Amino acid sequence: MLGKLLIGFWVLSLPALAGADSQWVLEQSTLTYHVSHRLHQSEGVSLAARGKGVCHDGQCDFLIAVPVKSFDSGDSNRDLHMLQVTRGAQFPIVTVRTRVPESASASATIYLDLEIQFAGQTALYKQVPFQRVAQGSETRITGTIPAKLSDFKIDPPSFLTVPVKNEMPVRVDMTWHPM
Amino acid sequence: MPANTADNWRACVGGLGVVCLFATLAPSLVAQTDGTGALTGTLIDPSGAPVAFAMVTATSADTGQVRPGATGTDGTYKFSLPPGNYTMRLECRGYKTVEIPSATINENETVVLDRKLEADAQTNSNTATPPQKQTTAPSNNPTAPSLQDLGITPAQAKGSAEAQALLDRRTHMLKVHQRLGLITIAPFAATLITSAAAGGRQTSTTGRDLHAALGVTTAGLYFTSAYFAIRAPKIPGTQTRGPIRLHKILAWIHGPGMVLTPILGEIAFAQKSRGEKVHGIASLHGPVAIATGAAFGLAVVSVSFKF
Repeated sequence: MLGKLLIGFWVLSLPALAGADSQWVLEQSTLTYHVSHRLHQSEGVSLAARGKGVCHDGQCDFLIAVPVKSFDSGDSNRDLHMLQVTRGAQFPIVTVRTRVPESASASATIYLDLEIQFAGQTALYKQVPFQRVAQGSETRITGTIPAKLSDFKIDPPSFLTVPVKNEMPVRVDMTWHPM
Repeated sequence: MPANTADNWRACVGGLGVVCLFATLAPSLVAQTDGTGALTGTLIDPSGAPVAFAMVTATSADTGQVRPGATGTDGTYKFSLPPGNYTMRLECRGYKTVEIPSATINENETVVLDRKLEADAQTNSNTATPPQKQTTAPSNNPTAPSLQDLGITPAQAKGSAEAQALLDRRTHMLKVHQRLGLITIAPFAATLITSAAAGGRQTSTTGRDLHAALGVTTAGLYFTSAYFAIRAPKIPGTQTRGPIRLHKILAWIHGPGMVLTPILGEIAFAQKSRGEKVHGIASLHGPVAIATGAAFGLAVVSVSFKF
Protein backbone atom coordinates (compact mmCIF):
# COMPACT_ATOMS: atom_id res chain seq x y z
CA MET A 1 0.00 0.00 0.00
CA LEU A 2 2.75 2.39 0.98
CA GLY A 3 4.64 1.52 -2.21
CA LYS A 4 1.59 2.36 -4.33
CA LEU A 5 1.22 5.65 -2.50
CA LEU A 6 4.86 6.55 -3.13
CA ILE A 7 4.56 5.70 -6.81
CA GLY A 8 1.36 7.75 -7.03
CA PHE A 9 3.04 10.69 -5.32
CA TRP A 10 6.03 10.42 -7.67
CA VAL A 11 3.77 10.34 -10.76
CA LEU A 12 1.74 13.31 -9.53
CA SER A 13 4.86 15.28 -8.73
CA LEU A 14 6.28 14.98 -12.27
CA PRO A 15 4.31 17.93 -13.71
CA ALA A 16 5.29 20.02 -10.74
CA LEU A 17 8.95 19.19 -11.31
CA ALA A 18 8.57 19.96 -15.00
CA GLY A 19 7.01 23.29 -14.05
CA ALA A 20 10.08 24.25 -12.09
CA ASP A 21 11.87 25.43 -15.24
CA SER A 22 13.77 28.66 -15.37
CA GLN A 23 12.27 32.10 -15.70
CA TRP A 24 13.65 35.42 -16.87
CA VAL A 25 12.63 38.93 -16.01
CA LEU A 26 13.36 42.09 -17.97
CA GLU A 27 15.72 44.07 -15.78
CA GLN A 28 15.98 47.19 -17.93
CA SER A 29 15.28 48.13 -21.49
CA THR A 30 15.53 50.91 -24.01
CA LEU A 31 13.22 50.77 -27.00
CA THR A 32 13.73 53.44 -29.63
CA TYR A 33 11.57 53.99 -32.67
CA HIS A 34 12.89 55.99 -35.58
CA VAL A 35 10.71 58.00 -37.95
CA SER A 36 12.07 59.67 -41.08
CA HIS A 37 10.73 62.76 -42.78
CA ARG A 38 12.40 65.08 -45.26
CA LEU A 39 12.65 67.75 -42.57
CA HIS A 40 12.79 65.60 -39.47
CA GLN A 41 14.58 62.55 -38.18
CA SER A 42 12.71 61.75 -35.00
CA GLU A 43 13.30 59.17 -32.34
CA GLY A 44 11.09 58.21 -29.45
CA VAL A 45 12.46 56.31 -26.50
CA SER A 46 10.69 54.18 -23.94
CA LEU A 47 12.30 52.85 -20.80
CA ALA A 48 9.02 51.47 -19.50
CA ALA A 49 8.90 47.99 -21.04
CA ARG A 50 8.14 45.03 -18.83
CA GLY A 51 9.01 41.51 -19.77
CA LYS A 52 9.09 37.95 -18.60
CA GLY A 53 10.34 34.69 -20.02
CA VAL A 54 9.28 31.21 -19.03
CA CYS A 55 11.36 28.22 -20.11
CA HIS A 56 9.65 24.88 -20.36
CA ASP A 57 10.63 21.66 -22.15
CA GLY A 58 13.60 23.30 -23.82
CA GLN A 59 11.60 26.26 -25.11
CA CYS A 60 11.46 29.73 -23.65
CA ASP A 61 8.39 31.89 -24.17
CA PHE A 62 8.93 35.59 -23.76
CA LEU A 63 6.42 38.40 -23.45
CA ILE A 64 7.40 42.04 -23.52
CA ALA A 65 4.83 44.79 -23.04
CA VAL A 66 5.26 48.52 -23.28
CA PRO A 67 2.71 51.33 -23.02
CA VAL A 68 2.45 53.29 -26.29
CA LYS A 69 2.33 56.58 -24.42
CA SER A 70 5.62 55.85 -22.67
CA PHE A 71 7.59 56.68 -25.84
CA ASP A 72 9.17 60.09 -25.43
CA SER A 73 10.58 61.99 -28.39
CA GLY A 74 11.32 65.13 -26.37
CA ASP A 75 8.40 66.91 -28.06
CA SER A 76 5.03 66.54 -26.36
CA ASN A 77 3.19 67.64 -29.50
CA ARG A 78 4.86 64.96 -31.61
CA ASP A 79 4.26 62.35 -28.92
CA LEU A 80 0.55 63.14 -28.82
CA HIS A 81 0.41 63.02 -32.60
CA MET A 82 2.16 59.63 -32.65
CA LEU A 83 -0.23 58.44 -29.94
CA GLN A 84 -3.13 59.47 -32.15
CA VAL A 85 -1.93 57.93 -35.42
CA THR A 86 -0.97 54.68 -33.69
CA ARG A 87 -4.37 54.57 -31.96
CA GLY A 88 -2.52 54.44 -28.65
CA ALA A 89 -5.51 55.55 -26.57
CA GLN A 90 -7.60 52.71 -27.93
CA PHE A 91 -4.80 50.12 -27.87
CA PRO A 92 -2.54 51.35 -25.09
CA ILE A 93 -0.13 48.42 -24.84
CA VAL A 94 2.31 47.07 -27.42
CA THR A 95 3.12 43.41 -26.87
CA VAL A 96 5.92 41.36 -28.34
CA ARG A 97 5.86 37.59 -28.03
CA THR A 98 8.57 35.23 -29.07
CA ARG A 99 9.68 31.68 -28.47
CA VAL A 100 13.34 30.81 -28.21
CA PRO A 101 14.93 27.38 -27.90
CA GLU A 102 16.89 27.24 -24.67
CA SER A 103 19.88 26.09 -26.70
CA ALA A 104 19.91 29.48 -28.42
CA SER A 105 21.04 31.06 -25.19
CA ALA A 106 24.59 30.03 -26.07
CA SER A 107 24.64 31.83 -29.42
CA ALA A 108 26.11 35.28 -29.91
CA THR A 109 23.46 36.00 -32.51
CA ILE A 110 19.93 34.74 -32.21
CA TYR A 111 17.21 34.93 -34.85
CA LEU A 112 13.75 35.41 -33.46
CA ASP A 113 10.23 35.23 -34.83
CA LEU A 114 8.43 38.14 -33.21
CA GLU A 115 4.70 38.44 -32.93
CA ILE A 116 3.90 42.08 -32.33
CA GLN A 117 0.50 43.43 -31.36
CA PHE A 118 0.32 47.15 -31.92
CA ALA A 119 -2.39 49.59 -32.89
CA GLY A 120 -4.97 46.83 -32.85
CA GLN A 121 -3.10 44.77 -35.43
CA THR A 122 -0.85 41.75 -35.23
CA ALA A 123 2.26 41.34 -37.35
CA LEU A 124 4.86 38.63 -37.43
CA TYR A 125 8.48 39.45 -38.13
CA LYS A 126 10.49 36.40 -38.98
CA GLN A 127 14.12 35.72 -38.27
CA VAL A 128 14.97 39.09 -36.81
CA PRO A 129 18.64 39.03 -35.76
CA PHE A 130 19.60 40.04 -32.25
CA GLN A 131 22.97 40.13 -30.62
CA ARG A 132 23.30 38.41 -27.28
CA VAL A 133 25.96 39.36 -24.78
CA ALA A 134 26.28 37.61 -21.41
CA GLN A 135 27.10 40.04 -18.61
CA GLY A 136 27.55 37.97 -15.46
CA SER A 137 24.23 36.38 -14.69
CA GLU A 138 22.43 38.83 -16.95
CA THR A 139 21.95 38.67 -20.68
CA ARG A 140 21.88 41.73 -22.88
CA ILE A 141 19.94 41.54 -26.13
CA THR A 142 20.31 44.19 -28.81
CA GLY A 143 18.92 44.45 -32.29
CA THR A 144 16.53 46.26 -34.55
CA ILE A 145 12.99 45.30 -35.45
CA PRO A 146 12.33 46.31 -39.07
CA ALA A 147 8.82 47.55 -38.35
CA LYS A 148 6.74 49.31 -40.96
CA LEU A 149 3.72 51.50 -40.37
CA SER A 150 1.78 49.63 -43.02
CA ASP A 151 2.24 46.37 -41.12
CA PHE A 152 -0.09 47.80 -38.50
CA LYS A 153 -2.37 49.67 -40.91
CA ILE A 154 -1.10 53.01 -39.61
CA ASP A 155 -1.45 55.88 -42.05
CA PRO A 156 1.94 57.61 -42.17
CA PRO A 157 1.54 60.96 -40.44
CA SER A 158 2.37 63.86 -42.72
CA PHE A 159 3.98 67.17 -42.11
CA LEU A 160 3.83 70.01 -44.63
CA THR A 161 1.75 67.58 -46.69
CA VAL A 162 4.72 65.18 -46.96
CA PRO A 163 4.17 61.83 -45.20
CA VAL A 164 6.87 60.21 -43.13
CA LYS A 165 8.56 57.12 -44.51
CA ASN A 166 6.75 53.83 -44.06
CA GLU A 167 9.75 52.28 -42.33
CA MET A 168 9.81 52.73 -38.57
CA PRO A 169 12.69 50.60 -37.27
CA VAL A 170 12.65 49.98 -33.54
CA ARG A 171 15.99 49.60 -31.84
CA VAL A 172 15.93 47.22 -28.91
CA ASP A 173 18.36 47.10 -26.02
CA MET A 174 17.25 44.82 -23.19
CA THR A 175 18.89 43.30 -20.17
CA TRP A 176 17.34 40.09 -18.86
CA HIS A 177 17.92 38.64 -15.44
CA PRO A 178 17.21 35.04 -14.40
CA MET A 179 14.60 34.79 -11.63
CA MET B 1 4.47 104.19 -41.90
CA PRO B 2 7.18 106.80 -41.52
CA ALA B 3 8.90 108.07 -44.62
CA ASN B 4 11.98 105.97 -44.15
CA THR B 5 10.05 102.85 -43.27
CA ALA B 6 10.88 101.13 -46.52
CA ASP B 7 14.56 101.27 -45.68
CA ASN B 8 13.86 100.13 -42.13
CA TRP B 9 11.69 97.34 -43.44
CA ARG B 10 14.47 96.06 -45.68
CA ALA B 11 16.88 96.16 -42.76
CA CYS B 12 14.44 94.35 -40.49
CA VAL B 13 13.64 91.69 -43.07
CA GLY B 14 17.38 91.19 -43.38
CA GLY B 15 17.49 90.90 -39.60
CA LEU B 16 14.62 88.41 -39.66
CA GLY B 17 16.54 86.40 -42.23
CA VAL B 18 19.56 86.37 -39.96
CA VAL B 19 17.38 85.29 -37.02
CA CYS B 20 15.82 82.47 -39.05
CA LEU B 21 19.21 81.43 -40.42
CA PHE B 22 20.67 81.39 -36.93
CA ALA B 23 17.68 79.47 -35.61
CA THR B 24 18.15 76.92 -38.38
CA LEU B 25 21.89 76.58 -38.02
CA ALA B 26 22.16 76.81 -34.25
CA PRO B 27 21.52 73.11 -33.56
CA SER B 28 24.19 72.01 -35.99
CA LEU B 29 26.63 74.48 -34.47
CA VAL B 30 25.89 73.08 -31.03
CA ALA B 31 26.12 69.51 -32.30
CA GLN B 32 29.68 70.08 -33.47
CA THR B 33 30.89 71.20 -30.08
CA ASP B 34 29.44 68.64 -27.69
CA GLY B 35 32.70 66.76 -27.17
CA THR B 36 31.80 63.67 -29.17
CA GLY B 37 32.81 62.36 -32.54
CA ALA B 38 30.75 60.68 -35.18
CA LEU B 39 31.04 57.36 -36.91
CA THR B 40 28.99 56.93 -40.02
CA GLY B 41 28.90 54.83 -43.14
CA THR B 42 26.86 53.01 -45.73
CA LEU B 43 26.53 49.27 -46.18
CA ILE B 44 25.88 47.98 -49.68
CA ASP B 45 25.45 44.53 -51.13
CA PRO B 46 27.54 43.13 -54.02
CA SER B 47 25.19 44.79 -56.52
CA GLY B 48 25.68 48.16 -54.88
CA ALA B 49 22.20 48.27 -53.35
CA PRO B 50 21.93 49.53 -49.77
CA VAL B 51 21.62 46.90 -47.04
CA ALA B 52 18.78 47.95 -44.76
CA PHE B 53 18.37 47.05 -41.09
CA ALA B 54 21.80 45.49 -40.75
CA MET B 55 23.04 45.30 -37.18
CA VAL B 56 25.97 47.61 -36.57
CA THR B 57 27.66 47.35 -33.22
CA ALA B 58 30.41 49.61 -31.94
CA THR B 59 32.28 48.30 -28.91
CA SER B 60 34.64 50.57 -27.04
CA ALA B 61 38.08 49.01 -26.82
CA ASP B 62 38.73 51.20 -23.77
CA THR B 63 35.61 50.59 -21.66
CA GLY B 64 33.99 47.57 -23.29
CA GLN B 65 30.76 49.49 -23.65
CA VAL B 66 28.62 48.11 -26.46
CA ARG B 67 26.68 50.52 -28.69
CA PRO B 68 24.13 48.76 -30.85
CA GLY B 69 22.78 50.38 -33.98
CA ALA B 70 21.27 49.58 -37.31
CA THR B 71 21.28 50.80 -40.86
CA GLY B 72 18.26 52.62 -42.18
CA THR B 73 16.47 51.84 -45.39
CA ASP B 74 19.17 53.72 -47.29
CA GLY B 75 21.85 51.44 -45.82
CA THR B 76 23.40 54.18 -43.71
CA TYR B 77 24.22 54.13 -40.04
CA LYS B 78 25.47 56.80 -37.69
CA PHE B 79 26.84 56.81 -34.16
CA SER B 80 27.65 59.74 -31.94
CA LEU B 81 30.49 58.43 -29.78
CA PRO B 82 32.88 59.64 -27.14
CA PRO B 83 36.46 59.82 -28.46
CA GLY B 84 38.34 56.53 -28.28
CA ASN B 85 39.05 53.29 -30.06
CA TYR B 86 36.23 51.04 -31.16
CA THR B 87 35.76 47.67 -32.76
CA MET B 88 32.95 47.41 -35.25
CA ARG B 89 30.75 44.48 -36.16
CA LEU B 90 28.53 44.65 -39.23
CA GLU B 91 26.01 41.86 -39.42
CA CYS B 92 23.05 41.02 -41.55
CA ARG B 93 21.41 37.72 -42.25
CA GLY B 94 22.33 36.60 -45.76
CA TYR B 95 25.69 38.36 -45.69
CA LYS B 96 29.05 37.52 -44.23
CA THR B 97 29.67 39.27 -40.94
CA VAL B 98 32.34 41.95 -41.10
CA GLU B 99 34.57 42.71 -38.13
CA ILE B 100 36.51 45.95 -38.14
CA PRO B 101 39.19 45.60 -35.47
CA SER B 102 39.90 49.27 -34.94
CA ALA B 103 38.23 52.58 -35.58
CA THR B 104 39.52 55.68 -33.85
CA ILE B 105 37.05 58.41 -33.00
CA ASN B 106 38.34 61.90 -32.31
CA GLU B 107 36.42 64.78 -30.81
CA ASN B 108 34.35 66.78 -33.31
CA GLU B 109 35.47 64.58 -36.20
CA THR B 110 33.44 62.24 -38.37
CA VAL B 111 34.86 58.88 -39.37
CA VAL B 112 33.29 57.29 -42.43
CA LEU B 113 33.34 53.49 -42.69
CA ASP B 114 31.55 52.28 -45.81
CA ARG B 115 31.53 48.57 -46.51
CA LYS B 116 30.36 46.22 -49.23
CA LEU B 117 28.92 43.06 -47.64
CA GLU B 118 29.54 39.73 -49.32
CA ALA B 119 26.66 37.35 -49.77
CA ASP B 120 26.75 34.35 -47.46
CA ALA B 121 25.62 31.24 -49.27
CA GLN B 122 25.09 29.37 -46.00
CA THR B 123 22.45 31.72 -44.70
CA ASN B 124 21.11 33.09 -47.94
CA SER B 125 18.58 30.35 -48.47
CA ASN B 126 16.94 30.78 -45.15
CA THR B 127 16.63 34.37 -44.35
CA ALA B 128 15.73 37.97 -44.51
CA THR B 129 12.15 36.92 -44.61
CA PRO B 130 10.09 40.04 -44.99
CA PRO B 131 7.52 40.62 -42.29
CA GLN B 132 4.47 38.49 -42.77
CA LYS B 133 1.24 38.91 -41.02
CA GLN B 134 -0.53 36.11 -39.32
CA THR B 135 -2.91 35.84 -36.47
CA THR B 136 -1.47 32.86 -34.67
CA ALA B 137 1.10 33.42 -31.99
CA PRO B 138 4.55 31.88 -32.38
CA SER B 139 4.07 30.61 -28.89
CA ASN B 140 1.11 28.48 -27.93
CA ASN B 141 2.59 27.25 -24.71
CA PRO B 142 0.00 27.41 -21.93
CA THR B 143 2.77 28.38 -19.53
CA ALA B 144 3.71 31.41 -21.63
CA PRO B 145 3.61 34.60 -19.59
CA SER B 146 0.57 36.86 -19.70
CA LEU B 147 0.12 40.59 -19.23
CA GLN B 148 -1.03 39.90 -15.68
CA ASP B 149 2.33 38.20 -15.06
CA LEU B 150 3.93 41.53 -15.95
CA GLY B 151 1.78 43.40 -13.47
CA ILE B 152 -0.41 44.93 -16.16
CA THR B 153 -4.04 44.80 -15.13
CA PRO B 154 -6.87 44.29 -17.65
CA ALA B 155 -7.96 47.86 -16.89
CA GLN B 156 -4.52 49.17 -17.87
CA ALA B 157 -4.51 47.11 -21.05
CA LYS B 158 -7.99 48.23 -22.02
CA GLY B 159 -8.17 51.22 -24.27
CA SER B 160 -10.66 54.03 -24.40
CA ALA B 161 -12.54 54.86 -27.58
CA GLU B 162 -13.48 58.23 -26.08
CA ALA B 163 -9.87 59.14 -25.40
CA GLN B 164 -8.96 58.09 -28.95
CA ALA B 165 -11.77 60.23 -30.34
CA LEU B 166 -10.43 63.19 -28.35
CA LEU B 167 -6.97 62.63 -29.81
CA ASP B 168 -8.42 62.35 -33.32
CA ARG B 169 -10.30 65.61 -32.89
CA ARG B 170 -7.22 67.35 -31.53
CA THR B 171 -5.08 66.16 -34.45
CA HIS B 172 -7.71 67.20 -36.98
CA MET B 173 -7.99 70.70 -35.54
CA LEU B 174 -4.23 71.16 -35.28
CA LYS B 175 -3.81 70.02 -38.90
CA VAL B 176 -6.24 72.71 -39.98
CA HIS B 177 -4.36 75.18 -37.77
CA GLN B 178 -1.09 74.18 -39.40
CA ARG B 179 -2.38 74.44 -42.96
CA LEU B 180 -4.04 77.79 -42.41
CA GLY B 181 -0.90 79.02 -40.67
CA LEU B 182 1.22 78.05 -43.65
CA ILE B 183 -1.24 79.63 -46.07
CA THR B 184 -1.12 82.82 -43.97
CA ILE B 185 2.57 83.19 -44.76
CA ALA B 186 1.81 84.16 -48.38
CA PRO B 187 -0.49 87.17 -47.76
CA PHE B 188 1.63 88.12 -44.73
CA ALA B 189 4.76 88.28 -46.87
CA ALA B 190 2.87 90.13 -49.60
CA THR B 191 1.59 92.63 -47.01
CA LEU B 192 5.13 93.30 -45.82
CA ILE B 193 6.39 93.66 -49.39
CA THR B 194 3.62 96.07 -50.38
CA SER B 195 4.29 98.19 -47.28
CA ALA B 196 7.00 99.97 -49.26
CA ALA B 197 4.36 101.28 -51.68
CA ALA B 198 1.93 102.15 -48.89
CA GLY B 199 3.99 104.04 -46.35
CA GLY B 200 6.85 105.74 -48.16
CA ARG B 201 7.07 109.29 -49.48
CA GLN B 202 6.02 108.35 -53.01
CA THR B 203 2.89 106.34 -52.30
CA SER B 204 -0.44 106.05 -53.98
CA THR B 205 -3.97 105.32 -52.83
CA THR B 206 -3.83 102.10 -54.82
CA GLY B 207 -0.68 101.06 -52.99
CA ARG B 208 -2.27 101.72 -49.61
CA ASP B 209 -5.51 99.95 -50.61
CA LEU B 210 -3.60 96.91 -51.79
CA HIS B 211 -1.52 96.87 -48.61
CA ALA B 212 -4.66 97.20 -46.48
CA ALA B 213 -6.51 94.47 -48.37
CA LEU B 214 -3.61 92.08 -47.98
CA GLY B 215 -3.37 92.98 -44.32
CA VAL B 216 -7.05 92.23 -43.77
CA THR B 217 -6.67 88.91 -45.59
CA THR B 218 -3.67 88.05 -43.43
CA ALA B 219 -5.47 88.91 -40.22
CA GLY B 220 -8.53 86.90 -41.26
CA LEU B 221 -6.51 83.80 -42.04
CA TYR B 222 -4.38 84.27 -38.95
CA PHE B 223 -7.29 84.47 -36.54
CA THR B 224 -9.04 81.52 -38.20
CA SER B 225 -5.85 79.50 -37.80
CA ALA B 226 -5.51 80.63 -34.19
CA TYR B 227 -9.09 79.58 -33.48
CA PHE B 228 -8.32 75.97 -34.41
CA ALA B 229 -5.23 75.92 -32.17
CA ILE B 230 -7.04 77.47 -29.20
CA ARG B 231 -10.13 75.28 -29.55
CA ALA B 232 -8.24 72.00 -30.10
CA PRO B 233 -8.97 69.66 -27.17
CA LYS B 234 -6.39 69.62 -24.41
CA ILE B 235 -5.19 66.19 -23.39
CA PRO B 236 -5.23 65.83 -19.59
CA GLY B 237 -1.91 65.12 -17.95
CA THR B 238 0.18 66.34 -20.85
CA GLN B 239 3.13 68.55 -20.05
CA THR B 240 4.27 70.77 -22.89
CA ARG B 241 7.85 69.90 -23.87
CA GLY B 242 10.09 70.50 -26.83
CA PRO B 243 9.81 72.96 -29.73
CA ILE B 244 6.08 73.36 -29.21
CA ARG B 245 6.90 75.39 -26.07
CA LEU B 246 8.71 78.01 -28.15
CA HIS B 247 5.86 77.87 -30.66
CA LYS B 248 3.36 78.68 -27.90
CA ILE B 249 5.53 81.38 -26.29
CA LEU B 250 5.90 83.13 -29.65
CA ALA B 251 2.12 83.23 -29.93
CA TRP B 252 2.17 85.70 -27.05
CA ILE B 253 4.17 88.02 -29.30
CA HIS B 254 2.56 87.57 -32.71
CA GLY B 255 -0.96 87.26 -31.28
CA PRO B 256 -1.12 90.73 -29.69
CA GLY B 257 0.96 91.99 -32.61
CA MET B 258 -1.63 90.76 -35.05
CA VAL B 259 -4.30 92.68 -33.10
CA LEU B 260 -2.26 95.87 -32.80
CA THR B 261 -0.90 95.98 -36.34
CA PRO B 262 -4.24 96.48 -38.13
CA ILE B 263 -5.35 99.06 -35.56
CA LEU B 264 -2.17 101.07 -35.97
CA GLY B 265 -2.38 100.51 -39.72
CA GLU B 266 -5.88 101.94 -39.80
CA ILE B 267 -4.71 105.10 -38.00
CA ALA B 268 -1.71 105.40 -40.34
CA PHE B 269 -3.98 104.84 -43.34
CA ALA B 270 -6.25 107.66 -42.22
CA GLN B 271 -3.32 110.01 -41.66
CA LYS B 272 -1.87 109.27 -45.12
CA SER B 273 -5.28 109.66 -46.72
CA ARG B 274 -5.47 113.17 -45.23
CA GLY B 275 -2.12 113.93 -46.79
CA GLU B 276 -0.35 113.94 -43.45
CA LYS B 277 2.90 112.30 -42.61
CA VAL B 278 2.31 109.28 -40.41
CA HIS B 279 2.91 110.38 -36.85
CA GLY B 280 2.22 109.58 -33.24
CA ILE B 281 1.34 106.07 -32.22
CA ALA B 282 0.63 105.17 -35.86
CA SER B 283 4.35 105.38 -36.58
CA LEU B 284 4.66 102.12 -34.60
CA HIS B 285 2.64 100.27 -37.26
CA GLY B 286 5.75 99.28 -39.21
CA PRO B 287 7.91 98.13 -36.31
CA VAL B 288 5.02 96.22 -34.71
CA ALA B 289 4.26 94.54 -38.04
CA ILE B 290 7.91 93.56 -38.45
CA ALA B 291 8.09 92.15 -34.92
CA THR B 292 4.83 90.28 -35.48
CA GLY B 293 6.10 88.88 -38.76
CA ALA B 294 9.39 87.83 -37.19
CA ALA B 295 7.63 86.09 -34.29
CA PHE B 296 5.18 84.41 -36.65
CA GLY B 297 7.97 83.22 -38.97
CA LEU B 298 9.96 81.89 -36.05
CA ALA B 299 6.85 80.12 -34.73
CA VAL B 300 6.49 78.33 -38.07
CA VAL B 301 10.19 77.48 -38.19
CA SER B 302 10.17 76.23 -34.59
CA VAL B 303 7.88 73.33 -35.45
CA SER B 304 9.16 72.77 -38.97
CA PHE B 305 12.70 71.70 -38.18
CA LYS B 306 14.09 69.56 -35.43
CA PHE B 307 16.16 71.54 -32.93
